[in-house]
Amino acid sequence: MDWFVINLLNGVSYGMILFLIASGMSIVLGAMGTMNLAHGAIYMVGAYVGWTVAVKWGATFGVGLLAGGLSAGLVGLAIERGLLRRLYKQPNEQVLLTFGFVYILTNLCLWIWSGWPRMPFTAEFLKGSFEILGRAYPKARVAVILIGLILGVGLWWLQDRTRMGAIVRAGMDDKETTMGLGINLERAFAVIFFIASFIAGVAGVIGAQLLGVRTSLGLEVLLLALIVIIVGGVGSIQGALLGGILIGVIDSFGRAVFPQLAMFTMYFTMLVVLIVRPAGLLGRKV
Amino acid sequence: MEIERRQPEQGRLLGAVPYVGAALILAIIPFFLSTYGEGLMTRFLIFALFAMSYNVVFGYAGLLSLGHAAFFGAGGYTVALLKLHYNVELFWISAPLGVLVATFTAALFGIIALRASGIYFLLVTFALGQMLYSLTWNVKWFNSPGMQGITGILLPDLAIPGFTLDTTSFYYVVLFFFGISFLLLYRLVRSPYGRALVGIREDESRMEAVGYDTWLHKYTAFVISGAFAGIAGVLFTYYNFFVSPNHFGIMTSFLPMVMAIMGGLGTLLGPVLGAGVFIFVENFSSIYFRARWPLVLGGLFVLTIIFAREGLGVYLWRLWARASHRHERIKS
Repeated sequence: MDWFVINLLNGVSYGMILFLIASGMSIVLGAMGTMNLAHGAIYMVGAYVGWTVAVKWGATFGVGLLAGGLSAGLVGLAIERGLLRRLYKQPNEQVLLTFGFVYILTNLCLWIWSGWPRMPFTAEFLKGSFEILGRAYPKARVAVILIGLILGVGLWWLQDRTRMGAIVRAGMDDKETTMGLGINLERAFAVIFFIASFIAGVAGVIGAQLLGVRTSLGLEVLLLALIVIIVGGVGSIQGALLGGILIGVIDSFGRAVFPQLAMFTMYFTMLVVLIVRPAGLLGRKV
Repeated sequence: MEIERRQPEQGRLLGAVPYVGAALILAIIPFFLSTYGEGLMTRFLIFALFAMSYNVVFGYAGLLSLGHAAFFGAGGYTVALLKLHYNVELFWISAPLGVLVATFTAALFGIIALRASGIYFLLVTFALGQMLYSLTWNVKWFNSPGMQGITGILLPDLAIPGFTLDTTSFYYVVLFFFGISFLLLYRLVRSPYGRALVGIREDESRMEAVGYDTWLHKYTAFVISGAFAGIAGVLFTYYNFFVSPNHFGIMTSFLPMVMAIMGGLGTLLGPVLGAGVFIFVENFSSIYFRARWPLVLGGLFVLTIIFAREGLGVYLWRLWARASHRHERIKS
C-alpha cells in the first residue's frame, strides 16, 4: 500500500513538472499555431539562471524562481517579437527558426555556464522530509505538487475567466473574425508567448531538483513536452495537466515495475492514445 | 508555389548542362581530396539523399513529418543486425533487405500516421520514431553485448573477385546510389503523380473533388520517401561503422527537415544544397570555431529565415535569373 502511495506521489510530482513544461508549448501551438521547438531550450535558460541566483549567489529560492521565470520569459519574448511574429502560418519557417534557437541557446548556455552538470537544488526550507505512512518523503516533492496546482489553477483562470483568455480562445477558432472585431491579436500573441516562456523558466527552476541542470536539457525537455501534448491534446491547460500527470504516474510505476524498460512505458502510452484518440485525450477536433 | 519553370524545347539540352557539370565534378573530385575530404563528400551525398527523400513527403506532398529517422534507422539497423547476429557482410543481401525493412516500416507507420493531419501528423510521426528509439535502447537483441548500439560493421563485401572496397571506391558506390535516386526522384516529381502531390499540398479538398484518391497519393509518397531514406540509412551505416539508438532519435529526424527547408522545399536540388551547406558549415565551423560551431549553424538557420525565406536554393536561383535577365537586356 505505501509502495503504491509513494510511487503515486512521485508520479504526480513529476507529472506536475511535465505539466508546467508542456502547458506553455501547448497553448502557443493551439493559439498561435506556432511550433516552438526552442521551448525546451527556454526551459533550460530558466534552470541555469535560477541556479545562478539561488545557489551561486545564495539568494532565496523564491528570488531564483522569479529570476528563472523572467529571464526565460524575456528570451521567449525577444524571439517572438524579433522574428517569430513575421512567420505566422508558416510552419516550415517556424520549425527552422526555432530549431536554430535550440542550437544557439544550448551553445550560449554552454559558453556562459560551461559543461559540467549542476547538482539538483531546491529551497532551503524544502530540504528534509515529511512522514507519510511511516516513510520519509521529501518535502520538496510535495512542494512541487502544490506549486504545480497553484500555477495550474492560475493558468486555467487566465484561459477561461479573463478577457485575455477569451481573446486567445476566439483567435484559435477564427482568427480573421477576431481581428475584424478590432482585437489586437498581435499583442495577445506576444503576451501568450511571454507567459508560456515564463512558465517554462519557472518549471526549469522547480524541475531542477528532479531533472537537474545541464546542457542536454533543451532537447530532453522538448521531447517530454511533445509527449505530454500528444497524450493530453493541443491547446488547453486541462489537456496539458491531464497528459502531464498521466505520463508522470505511468512513468513512475513503469520504472518501479519494469526498471529495465526506461522510457518505454511513456512512449507506449503515447502510441496507444494516438491510435485510440489521435487528437489526444482532451484535444480539440483535428 | 511551383518554383521550376517549364523550358522551351530547345532550352532543354542547355538546361541539362548544370546537372552534367555537377555529375562530372562529383565523379572526379576524389582525385583532388584527402581521405578526410573524401569522407566528408561521402557524408554529404548520404545526407543529401536523406534530405531528398524527406522532400518527397514534406516538400511535395506537404506532410510535415518528424519521424523520418525511423526509416533511416530501420535501413541502418537491418544491415547492422545482419552483421551482428548472422555475420552477413554481403552487400547484395544486406542492402536490399535494409531498404525493404525501411519500406515496410514506412508502409506500416503511414497507415497509422495518415489518420491524422497537420500538426497532429507531426506529433504521430514523432511518436512512432521515438517508439523505435526506445525499443532499440531497451531490447538487448538490438545492441552489441554490453553497449548501446552495434559496432563492428565494415565496408560491405560486393562479392567481386579480387576487389575489396576502400573509402574511395565506397564514395563511388554512394555516388552511384545517389545518382540513381536523383534520377528516379526527378522522374517522380515531374510525373503526373508528382504534380498531383503538389496539388494535394496546395489544396487537398479540391484535388479530392476532382477525383483524386488523395489518401493513396499521400500514403504512397510516404512509403516511397521511407524507401529512399532507407537507402540513405544503409549507406550511412557502412560509412559510420556503427549504429546507435540515436539513428532513430529526434535529432536524426530534424536533420533532413532542416536541410530541406534551408535549401528550398519542393525543389529537387534544394535539399541537396541544404545538405551541402549543413554538412560543410558544421564541419568547417567545428574546425575554425571549435566549441562555438552550434552558434554558427543556428545563426545560419536564423539568417536563412530572415534573408532567404524560401530556401537558399530558391534564393540563388532567383539571383541567377535576375543576373542573366539583366545580361540579356544589356545585350539587346
